[in-house]
Amino acid sequence: MSPEISNQSLLFLIVFVVVPLSLSYFYQLGMSRSILTSSIRGTIQLFAIGYILTFLFDLNAYIGIPLMITVMIIIASFHARKKGRDLPYVLPTLLAGLIMIEVSVLSLWLLFDMVEFVPSEVIPMSGMVIGNSMVAMGLALERMKTEFAENNGRILAALSLGAEPKQASHLIVQRTLNAALIPNVDRIKTIGLVQLPGMMTGLILGGVAPIMAIKYQLVISLSIFSSVSLSAMFVTLVMYKHFFTKDKQVLESKEAFKEYSSRDNA
Amino acid sequence: MIEFKNVSYGPLKNISLSVDKQEIAILFGPSGSGKSTLLYLFNRLIDPEQGEIFYKGKPIDDFSITGLRQNVGLLLQSPNLFPGSVLDNLKYGPSLTGSWKEGDEKRLLEYVQLPQDLRDRDVDHLSGGQQQRVSLARTLANEPEVLLLDEPTSALDNNTAEEIEIVLKELIEEKGLTMVMVTHQLDQVRRMGTKGMFMNEGTIQETGGLPGMLDNPETLELKEYLEG
Ligand SMILES: Nc1ncnc2c1ncn2[C@@H]1O[C@H](COP(=O)(O)OP(=O)(O)O)[C@@H](O)[C@H]1O
Ligand SMILES: [Mg+2]
Repeated sequence: MSPEISNQSLLFLIVFVVVPLSLSYFYQLGMSRSILTSSIRGTIQLFAIGYILTFLFDLNAYIGIPLMITVMIIIASFHARKKGRDLPYVLPTLLAGLIMIEVSVLSLWLLFDMVEFVPSEVIPMSGMVIGNSMVAMGLALERMKTEFAENNGRILAALSLGAEPKQASHLIVQRTLNAALIPNVDRIKTIGLVQLPGMMTGLILGGVAPIMAIKYQLVISLSIFSSVSLSAMFVTLVMYKHFFTKDKQVLESKEAFKEYSSRDNA
Repeated sequence: MIEFKNVSYGPLKNISLSVDKQEIAILFGPSGSGKSTLLYLFNRLIDPEQGEIFYKGKPIDDFSITGLRQNVGLLLQSPNLFPGSVLDNLKYGPSLTGSWKEGDEKRLLEYVQLPQDLRDRDVDHLSGGQQQRVSLARTLANEPEVLLLDEPTSALDNNTAEEIEIVLKELIEEKGLTMVMVTHQLDQVRRMGTKGMFMNEGTIQETGGLPGMLDNPETLELKEYLEG
């Protein structure tokens, strides 16, 4: 394998686009346009990130790293917020959660000498931690909303028996965390068997010895595992409170009751 | 014991009512008239938009909210059982205050006419009628002073319903309970109630002694409802 892909070779990537393009053409899928634009857009995005990373890597680590991590956390928070726009205090909760996770993971990496404090190591590794945490938080938010809607009657029953909101939502918190953790346990269990993890693949292609690549992969996989668990837990434990008023009533119970009683009457 | 003064909330318009200690007040009327909503207000699952509710002569929000909810037990219209066994459900309320004693379930299962061996049954494996009775027993487990029951026997056959009515009446005698019960079974209104409140389109249209008001309805709406 050549150490570097030349620009001429890169041009032949066109071939890989021609395949779906002709498929769309012959079967009249009407997707030619979006195949073209998305390929071009993806290429531009990647090169832009490449230049930004080059710029950051050349900066002083104490400027480049905080700068990039701040940007990543802000983008990730706004993205995860889409899953819970209708809930109060979502953005500050997500921001706080991501900051807490990134700071603790990074401290551990540095403390145990797993990662060097240079942009080329910290930024991509943090990107994976933040990205995965963002997805987990979004899923937790979504799941929590569904669980609250589906279990509205049980929550009312628990409250009516004198339960605190915390006790009344115990079941929901449990189910949300369960749903957030199961796919991660599965992923760790089959790691390396079904699919070589992306980072390891990259390192091996870059010429790193497989055992070395595996060490890095272990660090990142377990870091992701723990930050994903933590982010789901954080979002769930902070957000469930906002489904209740200070009088221990279900928030927007008007809406909830309307649905609940119309289901009853049906 | 209970007093509503010009209470409005959502579908309810300007409700005033009072229920005395040890009275069995029956709320009846067409579906969608606001009966369930009225019960939620009194357990403070919701608060009035206007007006005031009094309990034992004091504004209802003078009481601690969880204490009030335990004291004014509410049976919701659907069973809404928690996942787990019958026993898990029965001890839920008392466990919140640490007042559950082992063996308490025997008496509760008797109240609602369920066999003792249902104790450890998963609630998913109960019939609709059994679920409704577990739900009633779960409300009774808190030993409330006031019972708000939303169609407690709607899923039961007539015999079981009448047996439970007898148990409820005994509880009222023995423990001096007060009860507000929602039903739209007219024979149950007749058998159970001392005071009737006829609800229609979010208001209490007519109040009277039972069974008197069923035999001599004053308003046209109640007359039409009875002729059904
Ligand atoms: N906050 C609210 N605002 C407007 N309508 C409501 C509200 N809460 C409940 N409703 C509606 O009011 C009606 C009365 O509900 P409900 O109390 O369940 O009546 P009932 O128990 O007599 O059948 C229902 O149609 C319900 O959908
Ligand atoms: Mg109802």
